[in-house]
Amino acid sequence: MTAYTDPVGSNHTLVIGIGNPLCCDDGLGVRAAELLASEDLPPGVQVRELGTPGWGLVNHIQGWQRVFLIDAVEMGEEPGVWHRLEASQTQFISANQSISLHEPGLADSLALAQALNLMPDKIVLYGIEPSFTGPGDELSPEVTNAIPSIVKTIKQELWKTT
Amino acid sequence: MSKRIDVHHVTRVEGHGNIVVEIADSQLKECRFDVVETPRFFEAMLRGRPYIEASHITSRICGICATGHATTSLRASENALGIKPTWQTELLRKLSFHGEILDSHILHVYMLVAPDFLGVGSVIPLASSQPDIVLRALRMKKLSGDICAAVTGRHTHPIAMTVGGFTHFPKNGELEILRQQLEAARADVDATVELCASLPWPQFERDTEYISLTRPDEYAFIDGEIISSDGARLPIESYQQVTNEYMVPHSSAKFTRFQRDSYMVGALARFNNNYDQLHPRAKAAAAAFGMQPKVTNPYLNTAAQVVEIVHCVEDSINIIDQLLQKGVAPEDPVPPSTQGGEGVGACEVPRGILFHHYWIGEDGKMTGANCIIPTNQNIANLEGDMKSLVPQIMDKPTEAMQLDLEMLVRAYDPCISCSVHLTKVVRP
Repeated sequence: MTAYTDPVGSNHTLVIGIGNPLCCDDGLGVRAAELLASEDLPPGVQVRELGTPGWGLVNHIQGWQRVFLIDAVEMGEEPGVWHRLEASQTQFISANQSISLHEPGLADSLALAQALNLMPDKIVLYGIEPSFTGPGDELSPEVTNAIPSIVKTIKQELWKTT
Repeated sequence: MSKRIDVHHVTRVEGHGNIVVEIADSQLKECRFDVVETPRFFEAMLRGRPYIEASHITSRICGICATGHATTSLRASENALGIKPTWQTELLRKLSFHGEILDSHILHVYMLVAPDFLGVGSVIPLASSQPDIVLRALRMKKLSGDICAAVTGRHTHPIAMTVGGFTHFPKNGELEILRQQLEAARADVDATVELCASLPWPQFERDTEYISLTRPDEYAFIDGEIISSDGARLPIESYQQVTNEYMVPHSSAKFTRFQRDSYMVGALARFNNNYDQLHPRAKAAAAAFGMQPKVTNPYLNTAAQVVEIVHCVEDSINIIDQLLQKGVAPEDPVPPSTQGGEGVGACEVPRGILFHHYWIGEDGKMTGANCIIPTNQNIANLEGDMKSLVPQIMDKPTEAMQLDLEMLVRAYDPCISCSVHLTKVVRP
């Protein structure tokens, strides 16, 4: 690796909020990351809002021991229901042949990181079922209610395992 | 011989477009590039908004050319309001602009075009078979984003650029680090040239009119005059004499034409019109591709992007040196000298010449806007290329023909969703 990548330094865990806050519940990851960043967290943990990083996600997760992602996920449950998914136990669907620059999603970026052997030892996806992901900057009541609870759980996991 | 090619949504481009080719009795019956995106209505969104918001709103036209749209927007507002930015502002804008050109070109060359030549469907299998290539692309892409972030506060959608100047300034130490990283990136840039010069670029020639900005003092990306390879030179305010937008039934993007049936914008047009102003290392890269103006093979638009990668890395180092020599100092944005007015901004964004034309009322609110994006200026030319190419490749198997056509579309690096411009649909 050449010299022009960011060092992770003594940090070990990165928490990333993903999504577009201008698309209502799609931005829940960013909102949750904001809330989490204002909490008291163990040393070595960093929280970042990355919006829609596309392929850039690979650069961001490179070098960390552990990455937590917070994003909207659709698993067919009621809005506001949240899930904790370990990447090693979950198949993220990647639309292999139809990739465009506007579309590489989380699954594509994780597949790329996997192919490049850049995956952290552990990736955990905290996902909340969205209610509405069209244009707008308000979260739905269901997602608004779910965020404090998911943030509390992430914070507990960070303290317990750090 | 009869064949039909119907590629419903070409992959590895931005947005949605279809290739439709029909050959019956060895005659080309149909040859179209359908733009099937929905209109975006950004011009309507601007009306009634304070001009200070325009660059932030129009930056959202594109997640790739965000700095390009924002810069063009700022130049339109500044020209409307009689604002002359300072030397420092111009240099900082150029630096972040280079960051975005690099980011976009690197993505196009490595993620969208390279898989065609390396026999894979996308960058993910490429990462397994040739990880060094993809890691190099990601390193270079990160540096490009870091340039934008240091200058404008964010990788995408610049927050620190405003009408008349900046609201945040990079520290001299940050610029020094970027300079070191740019120097370290030269090895990756050289490897990019070497890789791309070794690829078997399709042979196809079709001369057309090449349109870009031009400036007397430098390889133009921001401001200048409009120049045509056919000889015309116009001030940017006369852009409508060049674009002559018109509608066709199969495209939600408007088509354009100037002195011929179509014209081409983008890296190849810039290369053809402004070659003399490229950095010597960029000219050496062009020589590695065997390129000298005028290049009339549209597939080599990607090669021209590689040449521009070299130029932008070298020019970024040069800009940082100029900034560091004086030291970057916070300064207030230059205030307007008129209340309201009309202005045009023009920049060479990665895919070609971009125009924003604004009308600002005396209350500081936008009363009108017109944005003409490079991709829609290229679509008529792309179709012209397709119509010329198909008879030459008609005897190939359908799959091979389809790949040639898809690669042609990708060579233009179209940003189809950006190209969609307000279109009135009148049903008979």
